[in-house]
Amino acid sequence: MDALLTSAVAGLTAGGTYALLGVCAVFTYRLVSVVNFTGAAIGTAGTFALIALTEAGYPTWPSVFAGILVGTFVGVAIGYVMTRWFAESSASTKAAVTVALLVGLIAVGLRLTGGQHPHVMPELFPGSAFRLAGVEVTIASMLTIGLAVLFTVLSDLFLNRTRVGLHLRALSDRPMAAELLGVKVQLLSLLVWGLTGAFTTFALMIIAPQRSPNFMTLSLLVVPALAAALVGLFRSFWLTLAGGILLGVIEGMASTVDSISQYRSAIPFLVVLAVLLWSQREARWDEAR
Amino acid sequence: MSRLVVSDLSVNRAELPVVSQVSLVAESGAISVLLGANGAGKTTLLEGLSGIIPVAGGRIELDGREIQKARPGVRSREGLAHVEQGRTVFRQLTTEENLKVGLSREAELAQAYDLFPELVQRRTIRAGLLSGGEQQMLVIARALLTRPKVLFIDEMSAGLAPVIVTRLMNAVRRLADEGLAVLLVEQFAALALSIGDRAYVMRRGRIVHDGECKALAKKPDELHRLYLGTEAA
Repeated sequence: MDALLTSAVAGLTAGGTYALLGVCAVFTYRLVSVVNFTGAAIGTAGTFALIALTEAGYPTWPSVFAGILVGTFVGVAIGYVMTRWFAESSASTKAAVTVALLVGLIAVGLRLTGGQHPHVMPELFPGSAFRLAGVEVTIASMLTIGLAVLFTVLSDLFLNRTRVGLHLRALSDRPMAAELLGVKVQLLSLLVWGLTGAFTTFALMIIAPQRSPNFMTLSLLVVPALAAALVGLFRSFWLTLAGGILLGVIEGMASTVDSISQYRSAIPFLVVLAVLLWSQREARWDEAR
Repeated sequence: MSRLVVSDLSVNRAELPVVSQVSLVAESGAISVLLGANGAGKTTLLEGLSGIIPVAGGRIELDGREIQKARPGVRSREGLAHVEQGRTVFRQLTTEENLKVGLSREAELAQAYDLFPELVQRRTIRAGLLSGGEQQMLVIARALLTRPKVLFIDEMSAGLAPVIVTRLMNAVRRLADEGLAVLLVEQFAALALSIGDRAYVMRRGRIVHDGECKALAKKPDELHRLYLGTEAA
């Protein structure tokens, strides 16, 4: 039982990251209508900028700042491609384009970072925050969850209480109608891409020391992120947040059960499948009748 | 006094010419009515004017400034407002939030409610839940709050009850009387001509008639001929 609890608590760090990446995916989908498969890869690019700088001997925190800037820039660059050439495309076309961009980013990233070449990722927040039922809860796990909650709260406040948020909500509904009213559509879209790029980069910097720091592994964190977003049906920030954390905890607990531990990376796919089946239940029942 | 001058404007859709060398004028205080059969190119012309579709040739001048290469947002900030067909409300936003999207100063909200008092009761309702007439009032009021010099309105009567159409037409006339330049695309020719000042008729992408609304309203056979390009029966 203790081992299960320890693993569940250990899963909080991953859960917090899935939650933040998921909330960012919902943010991007709701505001610029793109199911973004490049979310984690954008953060990975920024994270590897941090690794490159620290390996070159630069101090950690200025390198963190530079890494976040790189993540923001990559986010804006991808956002530029999407808004410049695919603004009027269907949701499925946009999603397909981000899958293509993900493959391209991974290929370039693996080439630039030496593929499986081992890298040393500085641990930004080492140590324990507190003990819960005898289990150490790390600062990193608290921070990723805190960051996810902060992003969720700020997103809600920003969208519902500010003029720019109102413009973003209008833009997400009818981009052309918003532009015809003088809303700076392209600028706001790039703001969304830049903001999510910055947040995902910071989240991945926190989790990277606990994962294999290779470009592909970190980029594919988009799978649990999108699973979390699906739990929130790509609309609810709070359900996505809960879904991400729960996913991390389930993954952590699965690692203690020998018979399923080697399959725990398949859990996000099972969640995706379950949510898709659940969301189609009315259609299936109608057909059955 | 504002003046929109369109000279030899051509607009393509999917690289096919839909509007060819159209010239027209919209001036403060007047309603220019643009008539024509389905497929004549009226909506494409408006979309070219507001920047939704890039123009293939010609000039658009607003108070002497050429704007044909500007993006739709820039044209909006220069003073063009476009009420698209299909009542393009932001469905998830409330009525008041819809109005605030294009608003520069909070106090100006009163203008919208003054023009359409019906919207006051509905200000906290999601725009997607409004009736067709209320949605049309909302999009006209919303465009008005961008403080335009020229207002394009595309098929505002489509799918609405006659009593609502009359109500909307009167509101548009009031806006023109207060100094706005209006370019109105309308299927209900008789009603549009009754409130308009200058009439243009389009056929196959070209302007085939430019004259006074009153004069054209008195000649339904002539209007029929202009629409169809044949002699009236």
